[in-house]
Amino acid sequence: MKTQFCKTGLILILLSLGISSCVNLKHVNEFSASSLASLSKFEEIDYSFKQNCLENCQDSMINNLIVSQTDCNCANDEKADSVTLVIYQALKGYFDGLTHLSDNELTNYKMDPLNNALINNSFGSVKLDKTEVEAYSNISKIIIHAFTDGYRKQKIKKYITDANDPVKVLIHYLDLNLSSNLVGKIDVQKQRIGSYYFDLTKDSTISTIDKRKAVQEYYLQLDKIEARQNELHTYSKALAKIAQGHQVLVDNIDKLSAVEIREQLTQYSSDIQNIVSEFNKIKK
Amino acid sequence: MATLTAQQVNQLATRFLEVAQEVGNYRRQQYNKLTADERTEMKELESKILDYSDTLYTLSATLVMNDVQTSLTSINSVTTNIKTTYKTLQNVQKAINVAASVVTLGAAIMSQNPQAIAESIGGLAQTWET
Repeated sequence: MKTQFCKTGLILILLSLGISSCVNLKHVNEFSASSLASLSKFEEIDYSFKQNCLENCQDSMINNLIVSQTDCNCANDEKADSVTLVIYQALKGYFDGLTHLSDNELTNYKMDPLNNALINNSFGSVKLDKTEVEAYSNISKIIIHAFTDGYRKQKIKKYITDANDPVKVLIHYLDLNLSSNLVGKIDVQKQRIGSYYFDLTKDSTISTIDKRKAVQEYYLQLDKIEARQNELHTYSKALAKIAQGHQVLVDNIDKLSAVEIREQLTQYSSDIQNIVSEFNKIKK
Repeated sequence: MATLTAQQVNQLATRFLEVAQEVGNYRRQQYNKLTADERTEMKELESKILDYSDTLYTLSATLVMNDVQTSLTSINSVTTNIKTTYKTLQNVQKAINVAASVVTLGAAIMSQNPQAIAESIGGLAQTWET
């Protein structure tokens, strides 16, 4: 009777250990997964430094009626794109790893192969009872889960802390390149186009009808340019949320299971998902 | 000589853009008051300042590399550690699967059935490799 009571107690303790460690990393995983999803929107931005350079070069050739020159020198812009890509890939690699590591499925080990092997085989005169095998297997599973989850949690805390400063720096510079340098180049392009079309409207050799067509063309180009800028600004908002959320994780590293932190991180995940939806709307 | 940072070059690019916008706006607003030469001169000036701004934005984007070098090394090192830990934890499942194959092999040996032994060895090898 006493042995049975002890067994039940042990199972309950292990079960609660297993359940608590399972819950603790869920919000980290949710935050990390939504950060990864919004970060990956980078791949859907169909505009780059090189493309901007090529467009400027082609516009200049068209405006000056040049047909002989075919090469546009965009080497520096290509370099700017590679720098931006390197930063993006480093951040993506980190959030991808964190998402996988914080996924509770990782330590949700399947004991079925071992159970089946023990139940379906006989070992000489020894034949194991199914109920007994499953009972011991469940206890083993809980113990393995508790230990591996403890190990996982401890490692995740260290990784998040170690990564925080580089994450902040990299997000800052990825944002600088996209929402400031690339958007700045688009502003330059906007100014050039505005100036070009203004002169067309003042050209006395062009008919009013052609001038109207030119103005229409100008507004179409402006819409396209501004949609690109909106896309980049929306991406920038997502980057800011990721950096803030990561900071919340670090600031509360020792109370990862606290309800308030879970709520805060859930809010960040939800904000990031909203930005992703905003981004998707712009893309349509 | 001190070199400019990506951030400083970005600020310079923005200042150049602002100046070009001022020149452009002035030219448009005062268009009828300017002579043809003045218009051309101002247009060329605006275009030249815009070129500088454009070049500076690209330069700033490439200079970013100098500022992120250390952070890139750190984050890549953290990512490598994460992957190692992930692999270690995945190996626990592999160990369970290997244990199951070993148990099956043990039972086959005890049953003294050569076909079952051969199949179990194959199963163990396969589990080990996955």
